[in-house]
Amino acid sequence: MEDKIRRYIDDLFLETAPTKKAVELKEEMIQNLSDKYNDLTAEGKTPEAAYNITIAGIGDISALLAELEKDMTNKEPTIHEMEASRQKSALLTAIAVMMYILCALPIIIMSMAGFRYTSEIGVPILFLMIAGATGLLVYNSMIKNKYRSSSDTMVEDFREWQSDDKDRKALRKAISSALWSITVALYLIISFVTFAWYITWIIFIIAAAIESLINVFYTVKKGKR
Amino acid sequence: MSIASDLIRGHTDTIILARLINSDNYGYEINKSIQQRTNGKYELKEATLYTAFRRLEQSGCITSYWGDEQTGARRRYYSITDTGRDTYGTLITDWKAAKEMIDKLIETGEEDNGR
Repeated sequence: MEDKIRRYIDDLFLETAPTKKAVELKEEMIQNLSDKYNDLTAEGKTPEAAYNITIAGIGDISALLAELEKDMTNKEPTIHEMEASRQKSALLTAIAVMMYILCALPIIIMSMAGFRYTSEIGVPILFLMIAGATGLLVYNSMIKNKYRSSSDTMVEDFREWQSDDKDRKALRKAISSALWSITVALYLIISFVTFAWYITWIIFIIAAAIESLINVFYTVKKGKR
Repeated sequence: MSIASDLIRGHTDTIILARLINSDNYGYEINKSIQQRTNGKYELKEATLYTAFRRLEQSGCITSYWGDEQTGARRRYYSITDTGRDTYGTLITDWKAAKEMIDKLIETGEEDNGR
């Protein structure tokens, strides 16, 4: 019978967006109504009668649910906030990509200048910059998720994700595979022509940077829409 | 009874605050104690109860937290704040003043003459 109460409340909340507040209120109601139902049956009421009394005691919660909905729309980020957060996210990504591109620069310069400790100093710098850039990207995606989960509902997120990502993913896959094929070709051609094998591997890092740039481009474009 | 309900409805906040003065409590238990105090004559609708909780929480009179029951589902407890105690005091003073006034206004004087 408690399942029946739960189902009844589920129906009441059917039209309400599953925000944190709505879900909490729902759980609270189910818990309290179950307590009431159990008390009534303990007093000797039949399950049917207890259920009916319990449900009759709920009253009209439509006004309360409407208020919850209103809360949600009020808390939705304003256009300015969204624009600011998008700009911040684009900036973070741009810096990260720049770090990826520039991370090999110290090694290149040092080796060109004939510096003796190129690998001892250049390589740590390279890894530090990669680590920093990756950290930035991770941080960026985390604050973005936080922002979204407070304003959107999971359902809406999911729907958006479903419809949006299908064609975009296909396009990005195509671009990505073309990019990497070209990269390998370039690497082999340049290496065989110049015999500068010690430095031509840089091409792969540049390719990774270009791919990140393409991703940024799409993210920004998506944000604008 | 329905007229009495209408009269009582205006004091839902006072009634709930009064139930929280001594200890934190959760929705059903609060409503049950209201029911027991009126010998089953009055009971808040769930809708009224949760609307009042929400209103009181927004105005800072109460706060809520989820209990940590070991068995079964968790309950949401409400706790009165200092603001809530102040509000309760004001509401009680207001009610006493209003009650006195209404008593005087609806008196016909006949009861006093021993009728």
